[in-house]
Amino acid sequence: MSILRPFRATDMFRFNNINLDLWTETYGIGFYLSYLSRWPDLCCMQEAPSGRLMGYVIGKAEGNSTEWHGHVTALTVAPEYRRLSLARKMINLLELVSDEIYKGFFVDLYVRCANNVAIGMYEGFGYSVYRRVREYYGNLGLGKGGRDEEDAFDMRKPLSRDPLRRSVRANGRDMIVSCNDVS
Amino acid sequence: MSAAALERQIRPIYDSLETGSPKTAVVSCNKLLKKHPKNSLIKALKALALVRLQKTEEAIVLCDEVLATKCTDDATLSAMQHVLRGLGRHIDMITMFDNAYKQQPTNEDLGSQTFFANVRTGNWKTAQQVATKLHKQFHNDRYLYWSVISTVLQANDSTTPPSMRTLLYRLAHRLITSSPSPSHLSPDRFHLHILILRELELYNEAHTLLDSEFGQQLCSTSLLCNEIRRDIWRLKGLWKEEGVRAEERIVKMNDRNWLEFLSVLDATFADVVSSHGSKSSDAAGTESSENIENIRELFVRIAEQDGHNDRSAPLALLELEKRARSYRLSRDHTAMVDLMENYFNLVGDKACCFEDLKPYLSLEGEDQARWTSFLESITLSSANLSDLRRSINVHALLRHTLSPTQITAEMESSRATQYLKHYLDGLKLGEGLPPTELQPVDDFAILAGQALVNVWKLADDETQLYNAASVLEFGLTKSKHSYQIRLMLVRIYTLLGAPSLALEHYRAVNVKQVQNDTLSHFVLSRASTFSLAATGDITYLSECIESSQIYNTNSQETSDFVVRAFNGEKYSQIPDFIDFEDRLDNSLARDAMKVEHVRMRITHEQLTTDLIDLELVELKFIFNRFHHDNRDFEILPNYQPRSLPSFHEQTLLFDKNPGLGWLSAFLKIYISVLQQASDLDDTVEDKLLVGDRPKQSIDPDVKLPWKERLSRRSQDELDELTPCEVSFFDYILALADWLEPYHNHIRPSPAAVLAEVTKHTGSKTLKIEELHPQNGLATNGHTKKDEEAPVVKEAPEIVSKFFDDMNAKFKDILISKRLPEALHVVTLTQEALIMLAIDSLRFKPASVVKVHKLGALVQNFKSIRAKAIEVLREMSTELLKIGESEGTAETRKTFVEACQLVTAFTEIDHDFVLNVAKRVTEARKKMLEGLGKGVAKLCTAYSNA
Repeated sequence: MSILRPFRATDMFRFNNINLDLWTETYGIGFYLSYLSRWPDLCCMQEAPSGRLMGYVIGKAEGNSTEWHGHVTALTVAPEYRRLSLARKMINLLELVSDEIYKGFFVDLYVRCANNVAIGMYEGFGYSVYRRVREYYGNLGLGKGGRDEEDAFDMRKPLSRDPLRRSVRANGRDMIVSCNDVS
Repeated sequence: MSAAALERQIRPIYDSLETGSPKTAVVSCNKLLKKHPKNSLIKALKALALVRLQKTEEAIVLCDEVLATKCTDDATLSAMQHVLRGLGRHIDMITMFDNAYKQQPTNEDLGSQTFFANVRTGNWKTAQQVATKLHKQFHNDRYLYWSVISTVLQANDSTTPPSMRTLLYRLAHRLITSSPSPSHLSPDRFHLHILILRELELYNEAHTLLDSEFGQQLCSTSLLCNEIRRDIWRLKGLWKEEGVRAEERIVKMNDRNWLEFLSVLDATFADVVSSHGSKSSDAAGTESSENIENIRELFVRIAEQDGHNDRSAPLALLELEKRARSYRLSRDHTAMVDLMENYFNLVGDKACCFEDLKPYLSLEGEDQARWTSFLESITLSSANLSDLRRSINVHALLRHTLSPTQITAEMESSRATQYLKHYLDGLKLGEGLPPTELQPVDDFAILAGQALVNVWKLADDETQLYNAASVLEFGLTKSKHSYQIRLMLVRIYTLLGAPSLALEHYRAVNVKQVQNDTLSHFVLSRASTFSLAATGDITYLSECIESSQIYNTNSQETSDFVVRAFNGEKYSQIPDFIDFEDRLDNSLARDAMKVEHVRMRITHEQLTTDLIDLELVELKFIFNRFHHDNRDFEILPNYQPRSLPSFHEQTLLFDKNPGLGWLSAFLKIYISVLQQASDLDDTVEDKLLVGDRPKQSIDPDVKLPWKERLSRRSQDELDELTPCEVSFFDYILALADWLEPYHNHIRPSPAAVLAEVTKHTGSKTLKIEELHPQNGLATNGHTKKDEEAPVVKEAPEIVSKFFDDMNAKFKDILISKRLPEALHVVTLTQEALIMLAIDSLRFKPASVVKVHKLGALVQNFKSIRAKAIEVLREMSTELLKIGESEGTAETRKTFVEACQLVTAFTEIDHDFVLNVAKRVTEARKKMLEGLGKGVAKLCTAYSNA
């Protein structure tokens, strides 16, 4: 439960409680403004009844012909507001807009192969692994998590324009591509 | 040579510019210019390279040459665009594109470039005219919308008089309705349309559009359109209709947006609110009571259906009861606490429970007692994560409503022990977590830290802060990335006079980009108190520079995105982007940081006319700004009882938050002194400045003469100053007042100053005859050389006694052992000496003194200076003495012994606290010795001066 509303440029003055979390990157102002200046309807903010910001999603629409899709660039929830299904609501909105406004075939997102919690969550939302992207998160050297730390799963969920589910496949985890081959 | 050959030769210049080697670019340009001395593009590229090399004067000459040719080719215009931007000459950019467009009126691209040049400067009126012209000529609807939003932006501009606003909105309305295609083709056009109707209060028209098939469709997918729709419904008084709509969404579509619940609640009470106080309120009350029951049933049903999945309905039940109570429509006086108990039972294991319940905690009498006993009856455990979270919530909730009689130093101290015990107990739940994760039990460490800070306040006992620091440092060993703990430590270490540790923690928070604006106050507020710049340590000076980068980024980049939003027709974003740019550009934190930078700089550098003139010009700019306070204080956790000030307020340095009033006072202080010391007056400044002046604030005070503006003091300013700062402010105003006539007598005339400057730079752009003599008379720059020098007066008492007064304050503080306050007195005394030096710089040459017969005056401030140096030397010796006693085994021992509350727990071993003690005492020692040495160094420098 929370207020779901558009992400606004001035939210950057107030998103510290979300962005000081270790796993949330604070980009240059140009990053947020470039998304807002092109896909404002794919960027939304969750606000608590108290007025505190809880989390946000930033997305875009891209791709050619049957690859035309909505993409989740950043999805984050402040630590104190986790386990409240906020991510699901934001993803729902992004899917709705990607489907009805942008008429995309699917929505996709990238997640660290080692991040089992997130992968499980997205699977619960109806996403499945489409391919594994090598060294998407940079070459870290083989550390504790090995390849799983640096590789990403590209996860997808088909939208109503893809009733035959052509944009997904069952054996996605075995399809390995280089990070140079993805946008 | 053919055009293609020339192009081939120009290419490498672009490459050099792109790869960041402007020097090479200049060399290539010079070679080519020999063969093509009149080529504008090469000149423009050379100017750009010179701008990059910061050779502004040479760049200006070339830039003006190119502008005079009124060029129209793309490449030159594009290069010139960068040159002019680099020089801050946005107005010339408009003229340039305007000229080009006039010459080629069929060139659509030039037309939009002219439009964008106006957009970048916020020149909305002209922008609107250009857009209209574009629309007439190229018949593209987008240009019509450009003119509509430009009109709206002109109406919203702070420099537009309120009387013009409605007129402009009417114009916008006329324009948008003249569009051949309907606005609902895009959500952004539609939103803009409704926005105009809302401003003109044409709610029926807005309603019709929104209620149309297209309108409904847009609102169902666009949060933005739906937001403004909700607004219109309310403004039109359609509370009930909005309530029905929201209820439908909640029930049929399972929408759990809290805004829908608020709509249902607002509808329920709409009649009571509108008839509140009138006679029919009874009838409305009865009807509402029924409504309330119906809605209650609805919410109960939803709550049952959702269970643990969503907390909207249970929270809505609380809000319903709260509102019913406030209108005396509640039937069951026990309902409130029942609902709160239910809520806790349902959501108590979530971190947000405390925050959710906060608005409902203002209970009284029996309710309060019931609620407290409910919380106390809950069995606390840390067996699993849910229990732990519940336990944290219980403590936070109980703490929030503590009555004043329950808040004594002893009780708080035992609470701290209790919280710490829970903390150490709960750590087992986080065992094995990767080091990047936060401990689920962290809030207990935070609670303990806050209780200890409270004891510090209540008992005025600094050792409590030692305990707080030890607890929080221990917490950090378990949760390395807890920004909350780190920010609390930043405050505590600042209060302990250990700024290097505060800075260390601040840096570990990894503040980036725009966060520099909202968070830098943690370490840069009154940073000059802790700066060791006099000894050559420029840590704080560079911290200011680094934190300021974001403002350059903003002024260079944000307008690009405004232009992009125009290109992409995302009109909804444009006002927000402009607002964002303005708030960042005119940020209080930015300019407070700038003032601190100047304060530190003068302790570090030699006082030269360059320094004085540059800082003066910049501070005068700042003084004319309308500032926005973007500082984030909410980020500090607060678990203090509601009857007390928040943790943020409790831990403010010197108990004063330096905001707009503080900034204004310090700007007055610096401008007063620098203006006297400088030869620049407004007219000279105008001639010498490169680039555009910033937009003036609409505050009528800006139009007043400087002297009047500077000599005023407002309560807002005094409220934000510490007593020592007030004394310093008094001292400066008295000093400036005293020396004013002598400065005015000696200062060369504006014409002479300008002639001198022109001679040096050899620039042809400045013409002395443009300087009308009457301009000089308007300000303090006028001189009457033939007249006798003003009679020398004794220094006013405020000035002559200032240093003795500060010394007395210093001695008082030494007895009370408040370290930061001692630093505060010393740094202000030191600043007073430097300000005296700046203000007497003009009287330094013996010849000047002799010619103007001001020997007596010089004697006068020589004796004040001698006094200042004597006092400061004494302070320095004292600081060094205390510094020596810090950082010894003895002080460490005292520290550790004071931390018995913490060391009583076996989990936190003695060595850990000893290490904290070592770091704190060493940081203090470094601070004291650094400042002591710095002061001594300055004394030596100024006693010879």
